[in-house]
Amino acid sequence: MKIDNSLPLEYSTEENRLKILGFWIFLGAEIMLFGTLFASYFTLVDRTAGGPDGAEIFKITPVLIETIVLLTSSFTIGLAIHAMRLGKKKAMLAFLGVTLLLGAGFLGVEIYEFVHYVHEGAGIQTSAFTSILLTTLGTHGAHVTLGFFWGLFILLQVKKRGLTPETANKSFIFSLYWHFLDVVWIFIFSFIYLKGMM
Amino acid sequence: MKELFPAKQVMGFVFSLILTAVALLVYFMDMSFELGMTVLLVTAFIQAGLQLVVFMHAGESEDKAAIYTNVYYGLFIALVTIFGTLLCMIWGYI
Amino acid sequence: MDFFDRFAIPHPSPAIYASMVAIGLTMIAVLAGLTYFKKWGYLWREWLTTVDHKRIGIMYLISALLMLFRGGVDAIMLRAQLATPDAKLLDAQHYNEIFSTHGVVMILFMAMPFIMALMNFVVPLQIGARDVAFPRLNALSFWLFFMGAMLFNISFVIGGSPDAGWTSYFPLAGNEFSESVGTNYYMIAIQIAGIGTLMTGINFMTTILKMRAPGMTLMKMPMFTWSSLVANVIIVFAFPVLTVALAMGTMDRLFGTNFFTTDNGGMDMLWANLFWVWGHPEVYILILPAFGIYSEIISTFARRNLYGYKSMVFSMVIIAGYSFLVWAHHFFTMGQGALTNSIFSITTMAIAVPTGVKIFNWLFTLWKGKIEITTPMLYAILFIPLFTIGGVTGVMLAMSAADYQYHNTMFLVAHFHNVIIPGVVFAMLAGLTYYWPKMFGFMLNEKLGKWAAWLLSIGFLLAFMPMYITGLDGQARRMYTYSESTGYGPLNMVSFIGALIMAVGFAVIVYNIYYSIRYASRDISADPWDARTLEWATHTPVPEYNFAVVPQVNSIEAYWDSKKKGQVLFKDKYEKIHMPNSSGVPFIMGCIFFAWGFSFVFGLWVPLILTTIGIFVCMALRSFEKDHGHYISVEEVEETETKLRGAK
Repeated sequence: MKIDNSLPLEYSTEENRLKILGFWIFLGAEIMLFGTLFASYFTLVDRTAGGPDGAEIFKITPVLIETIVLLTSSFTIGLAIHAMRLGKKKAMLAFLGVTLLLGAGFLGVEIYEFVHYVHEGAGIQTSAFTSILLTTLGTHGAHVTLGFFWGLFILLQVKKRGLTPETANKSFIFSLYWHFLDVVWIFIFSFIYLKGMM
Repeated sequence: MKELFPAKQVMGFVFSLILTAVALLVYFMDMSFELGMTVLLVTAFIQAGLQLVVFMHAGESEDKAAIYTNVYYGLFIALVTIFGTLLCMIWGYI
Repeated sequence: MDFFDRFAIPHPSPAIYASMVAIGLTMIAVLAGLTYFKKWGYLWREWLTTVDHKRIGIMYLISALLMLFRGGVDAIMLRAQLATPDAKLLDAQHYNEIFSTHGVVMILFMAMPFIMALMNFVVPLQIGARDVAFPRLNALSFWLFFMGAMLFNISFVIGGSPDAGWTSYFPLAGNEFSESVGTNYYMIAIQIAGIGTLMTGINFMTTILKMRAPGMTLMKMPMFTWSSLVANVIIVFAFPVLTVALAMGTMDRLFGTNFFTTDNGGMDMLWANLFWVWGHPEVYILILPAFGIYSEIISTFARRNLYGYKSMVFSMVIIAGYSFLVWAHHFFTMGQGALTNSIFSITTMAIAVPTGVKIFNWLFTLWKGKIEITTPMLYAILFIPLFTIGGVTGVMLAMSAADYQYHNTMFLVAHFHNVIIPGVVFAMLAGLTYYWPKMFGFMLNEKLGKWAAWLLSIGFLLAFMPMYITGLDGQARRMYTYSESTGYGPLNMVSFIGALIMAVGFAVIVYNIYYSIRYASRDISADPWDARTLEWATHTPVPEYNFAVVPQVNSIEAYWDSKKKGQVLFKDKYEKIHMPNSSGVPFIMGCIFFAWGFSFVFGLWVPLILTTIGIFVCMALRSFEKDHGHYISVEEVEETETKLRGAK
């Protein structure tokens, strides 16, 4: 492996640079994935078939908690990458750990929210609206869950192997993924929740 | 020592909290649908751009052009899909 | 016994039982053969675990040819049923199953892998790279595609075929009207193959953007590479739509959601909408690489550089953008207003412009060229007029008001076969013949090749031109029979004869492969066609590392200029070469995905959960794995190079 020391660790080998660009392209595909879900959501949002609509089941408190938690986790993963670039392994691990805890917290609130919806009579089979609502939120939630385990594996690897071109590369790519999930959440927050409660 | 303080990240975080607060006005204030949607569109897209540039470092590598083209193209196609679908499925029937 | 009842065929026929027996016997024969000739180790080491783009390309090729056979048999059955009025060869249910599988197999499991085959084999060679960006991912893409295709194909012997058309429109595809598991197969098999395709898209975009030989700027890339780049961009942005649509369809069928149902607010038209948001770009994913192949072949055998390189590139980029703006023309009759239809009508007509630019560029390349009619060139020359007819009828269909007349008739069927057969299938056969010597070290017989090309063209014209007429007369597609009084009989008989002639054409190709394996000379040069681009600058057979020294490029036709103008391609000395390691994980993951899909189709929840865990375990293991590849030493490279040069 040729290592180019003039670049940050995560960019230092050709393989690393390929992986970063490849992941950006994957994020392009993810934009389309969520774009399609939003297209379906906007099409089906008024088709409640006598079941509850958004205004009836959305509650501002859990949504706000989720938003703040996820925004903060996006900030802490940014700090983790900043620490990584300064070569501070411990700080990096701490921030990564905090990010994952916040991610778990987000998931906890989301699960509470889902239980609440089902309680209110808005299960996934109730109407076209509830089907697409829970699917869109669920797809984002599944991404966060996957990210949680992925981040955990990276944390273990950095802890064991230190900051090498490979682990730095994985951490950086993970940070891209995590920020992207935050971006998706912003759109969910604005155009599903706030629009629904407006 | 200056380098140690993550000024960029902190500013980004503060800014994103402010944008969230502005978006929340839609909930707490009585707005027309058009005005509300405008506020949401503006805050959401600024916030997304912020994440992209400040946190994701989209423009830092030699592949800057490819990355931006990719993201903008994806965004364009996604918007075309959303509005085209609405055109075909809802608005087109009027 | 209730448990096993679900695997029974809902609409059995002697033909299906015969196929079951045939599949069983073939599998036993293959397993026995592998054991008898002690080829298990070879198969595992050299093929199942390979990450080499050339071998993956050849595996795609074999799959595509197998699927071409399957889809072709379907086609013959369909045409035989329609050859005479009130025929009783197939009943309505079997006819439905056959046209559904014919469509899916031909588009997704024949045309797609055929393109992937050529892309995998050619693109890294054409840009002077040693492999693709992510070789392991490439292997996984192949195995996902392959397992998806196999899962789809077993449907007709276990549980029943999909029967709601290749478009699988709801509510027909919903539980109410499609009770058998057939449509589950459709949703899940295509999902698995689709994920593989998406990964290929990401892989090849990265490869082409980052791994070109020094000096090869974007505007110096060979045309096939350009077309592959554009096609992969479309893959990356179109396939997620299919992923979502299929997931929603699956949930409707298995979890009782209400996306596309007709009650509880569901909207069946949304499926058609999402399907075509993916489906129309998919058409361009197929045709653009085909255009790339034709560009390579036409400039090689006209012995001159491609006319209008820049306009070729720009027209492809424009097509890539437009391809996402036209999808509603597939359902003009669904009930949108005149404004919506007009918008999509105009965008659709506009897309004919860049396509027309390409046609003229090929004609101008031929103009004043020293044309040499080889088999690939024959296909290319037949393609231009035949494809243009398809393009023109496409513009007819684009007029939304007139489309009310054409919609769902044989006219449409004639149109899309008219663009796909001369456009994609001829291109793939031309590409197969053109790259065959690079892949296998001998050439296919020219005389037999030309016979096949003519048979296919004549058969094609006989089979599909009559459909334009019967379509305008009102013969509906997907109807299993018609009465004598309609008067469609004679023209449908002509179509059947055409289909038979095409079948003979394909048989000649198969015979050609057999004949050439036995009799063709193995003593050919590395550049038997006197071609122009980098893939011909390396040895035949291509060594594992493709190029001993990375080529230096400073023109579009780097190899041609090195032959004629004395440009030096290989400047450096040998160095040790870094190569990726083989891995069995992609194949194993593919197998788990197959079991996952099968469990999903039948709603076997326990195996479904176990296989899901299996998939995640594979991914977790990959995360922790340390795999740095291996090096080929300078001595080894020297040895291989001397040997290959001697063999020339």
